[in-house]
Amino acid sequence: MRIEGFGLRATTLRGWDAEIYRRDAEVAGVSAPAGPNPVDPPGGAAPAGGEPAAGDVVRRPAGQLQGARSETPTPILHLANFPLPPVRGDYGGGAVELMGRGGIFIALLEHDAAEAASALFRHSGIPWPLRERDFDPQQMQRTISGQAGCQRFFTHRDRAFCLYVVIGSYALRSVLVPEVNAALATVELD
Amino acid sequence: MLAVVVLLAVVVALLGVLVIGLLRSHAEILRRLHELGAGVYDERDEPETPGASDSPGTTGGRRRQRRAAVELRDQPDIRTREGVAEPRPLDTPAHDLVGTTPDGRVKAVGVVGVEHTTLLAFLSSGCGTCADFWRAFATGEADELPGYDTRLVVVTKGVEEESPAAVAQLAPTNHVTLMSSQAFADYGVPVSPYFILVDGPEGRIIGEGAAATWSQVINLMRQAASDATLAPGGTRRARTGRRGGGRLDGRAREARADEELLRAGITPGHPSLYPQRATADPSEGDQREGS
Repeated sequence: MRIEGFGLRATTLRGWDAEIYRRDAEVAGVSAPAGPNPVDPPGGAAPAGGEPAAGDVVRRPAGQLQGARSETPTPILHLANFPLPPVRGDYGGGAVELMGRGGIFIALLEHDAAEAASALFRHSGIPWPLRERDFDPQQMQRTISGQAGCQRFFTHRDRAFCLYVVIGSYALRSVLVPEVNAALATVELD
Repeated sequence: MLAVVVLLAVVVALLGVLVIGLLRSHAEILRRLHELGAGVYDERDEPETPGASDSPGTTGGRRRQRRAAVELRDQPDIRTREGVAEPRPLDTPAHDLVGTTPDGRVKAVGVVGVEHTTLLAFLSSGCGTCADFWRAFATGEADELPGYDTRLVVVTKGVEEESPAAVAQLAPTNHVTLMSSQAFADYGVPVSPYFILVDGPEGRIIGEGAAATWSQVINLMRQAASDATLAPGGTRRARTGRRGGGRLDGRAREARADEELLRAGITPGHPSLYPQRATADPSEGDQREGS
């Protein structure tokens, strides 16, 4: 099934769930009601994914608060090969804990266009297909046994994006990463 | 003499009452038959050949009566309680769902090709019968579902026919609620409430129906899920003996795969699991496994 919204499009693979939304009701400094988002890593330079505990302040990589009322709400795309729970975080908090070893969770989050010029988003162009070696258990801020993550910041037509992917088993990455790429191949950005 | 006349008058009156009662009973039977589509005069509406005058006593009339009886058995005019949907006239294949959530998210829900069964609850924000189901979902009564690892998806018509605000007020927080008129069309759902149970791996509808209460739905779906463990020929499917009376879930399949791999001598980190890595960088895989 094909879904489209806010300049993002994707076609779900057989048995996959997908969702496109904007978290436009967030208030600066308040955690998202749908769950946690990654926070800046110590030092703030290196990109880090992960599933911090509920209640964490929602932050953007540059250290600014995401979803502040003064900014334009930005869209988020979720893809998963398991049932997406209705309540979950932008980076999959509340969802990745439920997936089995064969699970895949993909989040594509657009950031404020003003950040496109920052060093974090220096990579230009679509970052997929991903490679097996792009996945690392340490890419998940809160480690979940067996799982591995991959996070990429990039710009596309002056839009800034963060791609965050979690696979249910690092040991099965040779099987799961091709499936990740198959799902990402259906994603289109305006 | 007078007594005899009076007695006869009484007898005639009683017989008249009896005949009137019989006639009324006969008329009622005819009316019911007519409503069921098997009325004795129904064939006049559709003559077998143009210009033919048929009567129940003719060969064509009797043939049509037999045909009507067959059709009656095939598609009975089932009556349901007011506010409860009648069964769909036609069977349809299962479909994935796409629509919007009450809070405006664009969403696709995988139904076909998934490992679990999916219970689709087609509801409306306005119908009185649906209110019981909305309440049941909101209070957690739907957290235990029949079937295998069953996922409940509540479906209403799209924003062109439903109020998102009204649906949002009713939508349970722990189950997906999708607004999609396309889903109603794909599954041929005429009215709500209506429930369809889909077997994900086989992508087919294994149970459906309407009911007035959630407990009735549970009974219907439990029966359907139980029936679905039988193959068409009546033999139990090969995938038996596990949780849910049939299908293996992700963890069970994972455990089974692990058992079989271990039996074959393939342990975690075994080089055969990483053929590409083994040729490119044999040491990397082992390092990763330890992390």
